[in-house]
Amino acid sequence: MSDDPEVLLDVKDLTVRFGVKRGGLFGEPKYLYAVDDISFQIKRGKTLAIVGESGSGKTTAALAVARLVEAYKGTVDLDGTDFLTLEDEDLRQARAKMQFIFQDPYSSLNPRVRAEKIVREPLDNLESGAKEDRQQIVDKLFEAVGLHPEQQRLFPHQFSGGQRQRIGIARALATQPDLIICDEPVSALDVAVQAQILNLLRKLQTDFGLTFLFISHDLGVVQHMCDTIVVMYMGKVVEYADRLSLFNNPLHPYTVALLSAVPSVDKKRRAEMKRILIPGDPPDPLDLPKGCRFANRCPVAIERCKTEQPILNEVALGHQVACHLVDERAVSPLS
Amino acid sequence: MTAPLLKVENLRIELTTRDGVAPVIDDLSFELGAGESISFVGESGCGKSMTALGIMGLLPEKVGRVASGSINFAGEELSTATEKRMREIRGNDISMIFQEPMTSLNPVYTVGEQIAEVLRAHQNLSKAAAWASAIELLDAVRIPNAQRRVSDYPFQMSGGQRQRVMIAIALACKPKILIADEPTTALDVTIQAQIFDLLNDMKRQTGAAIIMITHDMGAVAEMAERMIVMYAGRNAEQGPVEQIIERPRHPYSKGLIACVPHIMATLTEERRELTEVAGIVPSLREFGKNRCLFASRCNMVTQKCLDKRPPEVAFEGQQMSACWHAEAV
Amino acid sequence: MSTNPLIPKDNVPIARHPAAEAWEMFRRNHAAMVALVVLSAIVLVAIFGPYIYPIDPFDMVWAPFSPPGVDGFILGTDYLGRDLLAAIIHGARVSILIGLAAALMSVFIGVTVGALAGFYRGWVEEVLMRITEFFQVLPTLLFSMVIVALFGASLPMITFAIGIVSWTAVARITRSEFLRIRELEYVTASRASGTKNSKLMFKVILPNALPPIIVQAALMVGSAILFEAGLSFLGLTDPNVVSWGQVIGSNRQYILDAGYTVTIPGIAIFVTVLAISLVGDGLNDALNPKLRQR
Repeated sequence: MSDDPEVLLDVKDLTVRFGVKRGGLFGEPKYLYAVDDISFQIKRGKTLAIVGESGSGKTTAALAVARLVEAYKGTVDLDGTDFLTLEDEDLRQARAKMQFIFQDPYSSLNPRVRAEKIVREPLDNLESGAKEDRQQIVDKLFEAVGLHPEQQRLFPHQFSGGQRQRIGIARALATQPDLIICDEPVSALDVAVQAQILNLLRKLQTDFGLTFLFISHDLGVVQHMCDTIVVMYMGKVVEYADRLSLFNNPLHPYTVALLSAVPSVDKKRRAEMKRILIPGDPPDPLDLPKGCRFANRCPVAIERCKTEQPILNEVALGHQVACHLVDERAVSPLS
Repeated sequence: MTAPLLKVENLRIELTTRDGVAPVIDDLSFELGAGESISFVGESGCGKSMTALGIMGLLPEKVGRVASGSINFAGEELSTATEKRMREIRGNDISMIFQEPMTSLNPVYTVGEQIAEVLRAHQNLSKAAAWASAIELLDAVRIPNAQRRVSDYPFQMSGGQRQRVMIAIALACKPKILIADEPTTALDVTIQAQIFDLLNDMKRQTGAAIIMITHDMGAVAEMAERMIVMYAGRNAEQGPVEQIIERPRHPYSKGLIACVPHIMATLTEERRELTEVAGIVPSLREFGKNRCLFASRCNMVTQKCLDKRPPEVAFEGQQMSACWHAEAV
Repeated sequence: MSTNPLIPKDNVPIARHPAAEAWEMFRRNHAAMVALVVLSAIVLVAIFGPYIYPIDPFDMVWAPFSPPGVDGFILGTDYLGRDLLAAIIHGARVSILIGLAAALMSVFIGVTVGALAGFYRGWVEEVLMRITEFFQVLPTLLFSMVIVALFGASLPMITFAIGIVSWTAVARITRSEFLRIRELEYVTASRASGTKNSKLMFKVILPNALPPIIVQAALMVGSAILFEAGLSFLGLTDPNVVSWGQVIGSNRQYILDAGYTVTIPGIAIFVTVLAISLVGDGLNDALNPKLRQR
């Protein structure tokens, strides 16, 4: 349990592994560590982002926090209760406090269910209150996310992508959760629609005092939405810092390369930013190197990086980095 | 100024749908010089890819056709060219790479065979010579250990590597134009940076002109010299990239730039609300109507916009905007 | 949201049930519509025919081998002088009833097995799929013949014999649909909001898995009718009820002298099964959301 009453979600040593069959019936079972020993905290009313590229484990981490994927070890402490130890009925009830917004608005809504019922489902599952009361909540939610009340009777395919995502958001809000996990909530939407959804999420955060765990690969969006950022690479946290530190003084070579790879319309940034191209592809997740997982692509890797795994180290206030080459001076080895 | 490599004039492409015939490209004109790079920007459903398919002569059969206008490539009219002639041009003079590197390679042939196939089809190379060129090309697109990887099947490669193979195939015959349709949308950002770097490099080496289709203004700023902002099958704005980003003359381009949270040189505590472009792209039924199709989403709309399609207005430095209020934007 | 007065408020489309849209799609398929009309006519004949044309198909009413249209018998008489039209009308009942009942039974077994296997995975799936495979490799006709021969040729037993050998296809389809749909985000979303497993399985996943199952069921009615005809042709049928296959079976020796006694019930089977297939085909198009988007 966290001592800080400000902290809503405290994730410790979260690990998710998947068994992968290898070598026939009697072969040694191999495990893929999709999320490997990660820890982070989110304060009430704040937004923490997990960023990373495909295969980094960011989505798996989010699913494990919400217990939609079973964690192998670790604790997920939501407001004083360890979410991972809850069983059956307790878990079903506790889910009300933690809701999920999904990436793909086309597959996250049941095509055979009317919009109003999709939004009402979490309430129906909890059997909270009379049916009329639930309907009233649905009415309010539709308004809150900017949909017409007449649209309640429609089926998902009669909505555009952005509207569908609004339904998904309304569904997540239905049980008045403390924490909402947003898994790439805008990456499947057209650019102009993305802005509508991002603005809506920020507005709802202020209006309802929500806390967000935000999963994204889009650093521009993360920069706009989040207060704290966790950068993941191959299941490990490589850097963990507040927004300004991370974007203005990225320390881990991977973070630096990731940031420099984002194309920008800002002329000044393009002129100043030296693009660091990292060659090659990430290693095979079933055959991870002994040392730093980024070593094979890192432009400044030394011998030690290949043999010894770096641990997450606080190098400045609220700025943790897992790199042998970063020390208390908090200077990136690439600068 | 010499004659442009590709000159598209008043192009109109019609698509037959259940609700009738819709002009998915409506009166589009642009020019592309040799070695130039140009970008088409817009949301999905705005006709970016359709333009590319029109140039390649790959419009969906029976459904789509070039209704009027001309596509002139190095003095030759492509909109009326025979299928046989188009086959010669495709892959040889104009080639294309697609968004999805996972599905655009044939899974049952090795990447070497697929590259060699293109070379043999267009350049009458011997089998051995084609194979040798395939290795060279893989090397050129920076696939490590090309000698060995040439006999790999697509599934043995990562997404980024497959897109490189696609680029190798597209560049095999040293085309004069390379059309890249959202080439990095399916890829991670560090891999995208590698691909952009590669494309720029190849452009320098082969002198190919690049038409890149994208929805990412950042990518446009990075990759192109000129851009065409498309909306509902029409040209909304066109001109030099820097100039449009600096001073867009069409509310749609302005919206597209302002609605994305960009990473700026220095980040500050301040975060402004993103500019929204309300609503969505109109349905095909609306296409071709004699009014501004963006009007329903525009905050500068007046009666005039709903009554008549805006003409293209020229500004300094070849910037052109199709908006009644271009001056005021 | 736009507040500009010049923009009309978005027209909210009318709420239409997916089934209504499927019907719209089905109606566009002309062959399927014709087949549906034919099929409805056959079903009506099966239900009401015996009241309108109450001649007993087992009664010897006229001279044997009276060709169609002669002496007032529209379809003629068979080798015992029994009215063929009566046999076709009364036989329709049995053929269609067995077809429906056997298909229903297959769907029931198949959906249960497939749903459990696809939802729970793991050892449940292993065991159920091995059982399914066991039934799949049985020589179907032989197996049903053995059942009917052992337990007697009553209608319920024939239905059972057909149903027990044809549920495997439904089980496999259901399982693969479940495997696909359980990974979709709306199922995860439902889980995230605390839905119970039973509801997840039958209220969330199953309705979305139904389209291919419905199509398969429709086609299965057709094949069950054929199957029944096959069994009756071999004499494995209830001698007290008339069915199309049985008419063919009992007249088979006279196929050269009085071909119509075999051809007419054959045509009845052919038309019915074809109509069912076409309807199934139309359902396939109508229920396939990918086609619907076009």
